[in-house]
Amino acid sequence: MIKISELEKIYRTEEVETVALNKLSFEVKEGEFVAVMGPSGCGKSTLLNILGMLDDPDAGSFLFNGIEVAHFNERKRADLRKHNIGFVFQSFNLIDELTVFENVELPLIYTGVKAADRKKRVEAVLDKVQIMHRRNHYPQQLSGGQQQRVAVARAVVNNPKLILADEPTGNLDSSNGNEVMQMLTDLNEQGTTIIMVTHSEHDSRYSHRIIRMLDGQTVTENILV
Amino acid sequence: MFRNYFKTAWRNIIKNKTYSFINILGLATGMAVAMIVALWIYDEVSANKNFKNYDTIYRLMMNQTFDGVRGSQQALPYPIGEELKNKFPDFKAVAMCDWGQNRSLIYGEKKISKFGHFISEDAVSMFSLNIIDGSKNPLHDPYSIVLTKETANILFGNENPIDKTVKLDNQTDLKVTAVVDKEPKNSSLSFDYLIPFQLQESIYPWIKQHHKTNWGNNSWQTFVQLYPDANPASVKTKISNVVISHLTDENILKHIKPELFIHPMSKWRLHSDFENGKNVGGFIKYVRMFGILGFIVLLIACINFMNLSTARSEKRAKEVGIRKAVGSGRRQLINQFLNESLLMASFAFLLALGMVALALPYFNKLTDKEMSLQVSNPIFWLIMILFTFVTGLLAGSYPAFYLSSFNPVRILKGNLNAGKKSSLPRKILVVIQFACSVILMIGTLIVYQQIQYGKNRPIGYNNKGLITVNWSDDIAKHFEALRQELLSSGAAISLCQSNSSPTEIDSNNDGWEWKGSQPVEKAVLFSTITTTYDYTKTLGIKMLAGRDFSRDFADSNSVILNESAVKRMGLQHPVGEVLKWRDRPMTIIGVIPDIQIESPYRSISPLTIIFDKYWVNNLDIRLNPVMSASKSLALMKPIFDKYNPAYPFEYHFADEEYAKKFNYEELVGNLAAIIAVLAIFISCLGLFGLASFTAEQRVKEIGVRKVLGASVFNLWRLLSKDFLILVLLSCAIAIPVGWYCMNEWLKNYDDKYRTNINVEVFVAVTLVAIVITLLTISFQAIKVAMSNPVKSLRAE
Repeated sequence: MIKISELEKIYRTEEVETVALNKLSFEVKEGEFVAVMGPSGCGKSTLLNILGMLDDPDAGSFLFNGIEVAHFNERKRADLRKHNIGFVFQSFNLIDELTVFENVELPLIYTGVKAADRKKRVEAVLDKVQIMHRRNHYPQQLSGGQQQRVAVARAVVNNPKLILADEPTGNLDSSNGNEVMQMLTDLNEQGTTIIMVTHSEHDSRYSHRIIRMLDGQTVTENILV
Repeated sequence: MFRNYFKTAWRNIIKNKTYSFINILGLATGMAVAMIVALWIYDEVSANKNFKNYDTIYRLMMNQTFDGVRGSQQALPYPIGEELKNKFPDFKAVAMCDWGQNRSLIYGEKKISKFGHFISEDAVSMFSLNIIDGSKNPLHDPYSIVLTKETANILFGNENPIDKTVKLDNQTDLKVTAVVDKEPKNSSLSFDYLIPFQLQESIYPWIKQHHKTNWGNNSWQTFVQLYPDANPASVKTKISNVVISHLTDENILKHIKPELFIHPMSKWRLHSDFENGKNVGGFIKYVRMFGILGFIVLLIACINFMNLSTARSEKRAKEVGIRKAVGSGRRQLINQFLNESLLMASFAFLLALGMVALALPYFNKLTDKEMSLQVSNPIFWLIMILFTFVTGLLAGSYPAFYLSSFNPVRILKGNLNAGKKSSLPRKILVVIQFACSVILMIGTLIVYQQIQYGKNRPIGYNNKGLITVNWSDDIAKHFEALRQELLSSGAAISLCQSNSSPTEIDSNNDGWEWKGSQPVEKAVLFSTITTTYDYTKTLGIKMLAGRDFSRDFADSNSVILNESAVKRMGLQHPVGEVLKWRDRPMTIIGVIPDIQIESPYRSISPLTIIFDKYWVNNLDIRLNPVMSASKSLALMKPIFDKYNPAYPFEYHFADEEYAKKFNYEELVGNLAAIIAVLAIFISCLGLFGLASFTAEQRVKEIGVRKVLGASVFNLWRLLSKDFLILVLLSCAIAIPVGWYCMNEWLKNYDDKYRTNINVEVFVAVTLVAIVITLLTISFQAIKVAMSNPVKSLRAE
C-alpha cells in the first residue's frame, strides 16, 4: 500500500538546518498495523505528516497504492487524503465550536456525502465507539478518553484505507488508553491499515511490526506476530 | 456544507461576544457612514430628475465681458421669451420667470405669506407639474394662480379651491385654476404658488413702459425646452447673437459682447460654476469628495475587520488544521471564512440600518434635505444586499486567504509562527487606518479655520439688532406714518428703505463715466444699492468723507461711493465730483468704507449708493439697543398689522442672514467632522481589539517579566510603545497628504481671503492621535500588567 524510498526532509531556518528524514525507505502492506518508535526529534512526526499528505518531502519517492504522490500539489493531496486517510492525534484536535456529532460528520461533508446518509453513518460509528449518548455535547464537556473516542470515530467514519495515529494514548490514562488501542486493533482486524507513532512500548505491542527510528533513519524493524 | 459553515460561524460569534461586538460595531459604523453618504450623493445627483423632461430642459444663459472679465449670467432681458418663441422653431416651450418672492395671499380671513414665481404658461407642461385638480393649462389667463396642495390646504382647508378667488398682495384678485404637487426640496424650481408672467405687466406699469422692448436690462430668467431630436449645439449657434442683434450701443457691441447659450438641466445643480464663459464644474467636487470619504470610512471599517480577524487567527488556527487534516481543501476554507464575514456583515448591516434610521432626521436638518430610506423600494433592498455582500467580501477576503493558508502540520504541532513577520500586514493596516483618520481630522480643522477666518473678517457695519421686512405697496403708501410710529414707539431707533437687504447686493450696473474714464470703462460693473434717507445711520456705517442723503438737501441726483469704487475711478478728492450714469449727471456727496455685504471670501466690489424712492424691496430697521429684541418686535407687530395689513408680520435678522453665508462651508465642515469622528471611533475600536489580543498573546512574557520584577508602569510602557510608534508613523504619512489636499481645497478661495495652514494644526492632530491611542490601549495594557503572573504562567 505504501512504499517510500530515499525519502528526505530538511527543515531550514536562518541559522540551523535540521535533517528530519535522511533517505528513509520502508514499505507498509495493506492490512498491516505498524508502530513507529524512537526518541523525540528522530523524525517520527515528520514521517507521519508526509504519509498523511499534510506535508511533502524534499526528495525521494512516496508511492501510495502505486501512485507517486511526492510531488502532488496541495489540492490533489487534499483530495487523495480525504478519501483514503483518517487521523488520530495525541491532543484529539476536535473543533471546540462543533458538537460531537458535527465533529464526526465533518469528513463526510468534505467528501460530499448527502445529509441523510451522513446521519446514518455518523450514528453508526458513534454507536460503535459507544459515545452516542453524548452526540450533542461539545468537546469541552467530555473527558479525555471520550474525546479520543470521538476523534477515532471521526477518523474512521469515511472508511479510510489508512489510519495514521500520532501518539493516540499520549494524553490518556491507562484504562482509557487501552480502550483506544483496542478500538484500533478492532479496526485493523476489519482490514484497515494502521500506522501509529508512539513512545509507549506497551502500545507498540498491539502492532504487527515496530519500526525504530533514530536521526531520520530506520534502525531496526521488529516483527512481533 | 453551508449549514456547517453557518453553524461554526454563529457559534464563533456567540462564543467571543466582546470580539464579535467590537467587530460588528466597527463594521456597522463604517457601513452607516457609507449609507448616509450614498443617500446624500443620491439626493444630489437625482436633483431635478423628478421633471419628466429632464433631458430636454435648458436654462438660457448669457456671457458678457465687464472690465476684462467674461462672466456668465442667468439674468436676461424681458423680450427674449417672445423672441425665441416666435422666431425659433427649435423650442418646444419657452418659459420666462422672475427670481421668486414671498407674497401675501388672502382668502377670507386667512392671510399667509408664501414663496412663488411669475412664470410663463409653457412652464406647466415643460416642468411636467402634476396637476391634482383644475385646468391643464392653468396659467393661460393672466389673472390666474396655481397653488401647491400644501398652500391650498392652508388657505382653503377642506373647501375645493378651484375657481375660488385669492387676493395677491392685498391688491389683485386671482382665480385658482389648478392645484399641483409640491416639487421636492432638491429641485431647482420650488414654489408654493405660480402666477402668470404677463400678470407683471398689469401689476407693475413700469414693466410695460420700460422693459417690454428693452434688450439692455437683464432682470429675468428663462427656461427652454428643446424638441427631443434637436441638436443642442446647433441651437446654441443659432441663438447666440439674439441679444446683441437688438443692441446698438458701440460699447456693448465692442466690449461687452453679450452671447447667449443654453445650460442643460442635468448640470444645474452640480455643474453651475462658470469661468471665462466656460462651465467649470461646481458642487460636484464636494459630491465626489464625500463619495471618496464615505468609501474611505468603509475601508477603515473593513480594515478593522481584517485586523481583528487575523489577530484572532491563532485561536482559529487549530480549527483550520483539523479541517485540513480531515479533508478540507483550501477553497473550502476560504469559502467558510468568507461565509463567516458575510454573516458578520449582515449583522453589521442590520445595525447600520438602525443607526441610519436614527441619524437621518438629524442629518436632514444638518444638510437641509428630505432624504429617506426607501424601505418600500425593492431596488433599494437589492442595492443594500449587494452592498452588504461586497462589504462582507472586502472585509473577509484577507482573513480568508490568510487563515486558509496555514500549514496544518505546524498548527497541529502547536507552533504556529506568530513572529514579527506575521504581524506586519496587520501593522500596515493599522497605519493606513490611522493615517486616513488623521487626514480627516486635519481636513476638518482647516475647514473650520477657514470658516472662522471668514467670520472674523470685519464687515464694516453693525449687523446685530438689525432687521429687514419685505417692502409692500401698503408700506409704500404709509411709509412716513409707519416710520413715525415705529420711532415713537421706542422699538426702533432708525429705519431706511433699500432695494436689497443688508446682506445682499441684488443689482449691478454699467454705464458709469467719471473724470478721465475711457469709453471702454463704461463696461465696468458697479454694485448698486438704492435708498432714500438714514441708510448709513440704520446700518451703522461710519462715513469716511462727506455726508449721507439728507432731507435738508435736494439729493435726487446724488450718489455715495464706497472706497473700492473711489479707487476704481481713481478719484483723489471724490466728494463734490460729478459722475455720469447713462448720461445722467450724479454728484458724489459722500464716501463710505468697504462694507462686507456679499461673500466673506471675496474682495469687495465697487459700490454706488443711489437715491431712489421707487426702486425698493426692503425696509431695514435698527432696533432700540436698550430694549430686548423680543420686546421691540412685540411693539412693532401692531404697527405693521395696521399699515401692512395684507402681510403677516415677518422679518429677518441681518446677523442670522449673514451667518447663512457660511452654510456651504459649515456643511462641508460638519460633514467632514462627523466622518472624521466616526473614522477615529472605528479606528479606536480596532486598536482596542488589537491591544487586547496582543496583551493576550504576550501574557506569558508579561508573567515572566513580572516575576522578574517589572512594575506596572514598565509593562504599560512596553505594551503601549509598539502602538504609539505605529500611530506616529500614521501621522508622519497623513500630515503631508493632509497638507496637500487642504492646500488644494483652499485654492477655491481668493488668496487674500483664505486662512493659512499652520504647524499648530499638525501638532494638535498628532497630540490628539497620541492621547486617543494611549487612552484606548492603556485599559488593556494596565489590566494585563496588573494581573496575577502565577495564573498566566500556569496556563501554559
